[in-house]
Amino acid sequence: MESWIDIHSDPLSVDDVYAFLAEDEGGGINIFIGTTRRVTGDRRTKLLSYEAHKSMALKEIASLIGRAKNKWPLLKVVVLHRIGDVPIAEASVIVGVATSHRSEAFEATRFLIDELKKTVQIWKRETFEDGSTEWQGETWID
Amino acid sequence: MIVTLRLFSVLREALGSGLVEVELEEGTTGAELVELLAENQETVKRLQSVIRLAIKDEYVNAGITLNDGDEVAFVTPVSGG
Repeated sequence: MESWIDIHSDPLSVDDVYAFLAEDEGGGINIFIGTTRRVTGDRRTKLLSYEAHKSMALKEIASLIGRAKNKWPLLKVVVLHRIGDVPIAEASVIVGVATSHRSEAFEATRFLIDELKKTVQIWKRETFEDGSTEWQGETWID
Repeated sequence: MIVTLRLFSVLREALGSGLVEVELEEGTTGAELVELLAENQETVKRLQSVIRLAIKDEYVNAGITLNDGDEVAFVTPVSGG
């Protein structure tokens, strides 16, 4: 199984992800794109910024992919996360998998993004329209 | 002995740098290091119960005895995605 893992500050390309996942044997490609959101609760966000403990985060993502591979027959996997400033509506994370069947593609993608949000050493800072900033993450999610 | 703290996000901003060297007594544990910082730093105190420590990209128990030259990452609850 081939995988592509990266954490970087350049914009994420869905076309590149699809090109990587395209596979003769794959009957299903599923791509999840997490984008930065304008409104959280009653506050309007101007900018989101991400920071990573990169070496640890890459290792954690590789471990999640290993767990996913044990659960589903994956052909290819992509997990990309952007760091630095991410303007509103741009992709901050892309998770994609290629499998033989669609149900496995949906389940594996869901697993990877859900676990990434719980365990991978990346942090998000919101800058609100009033100029205030706030790092997210006060408690660990089980 | 000298230990280097690797700090990210809220703790990096609170302590003013992503890399901070501290001089500690021989035999200091990870938990004692966090306690020492919490005594002087409000943000560390607030997050003390949820900070996880890592050395060489692996989580370690808070009770671990630190060694001269260790680089200790302070990992607060993550919020990527």
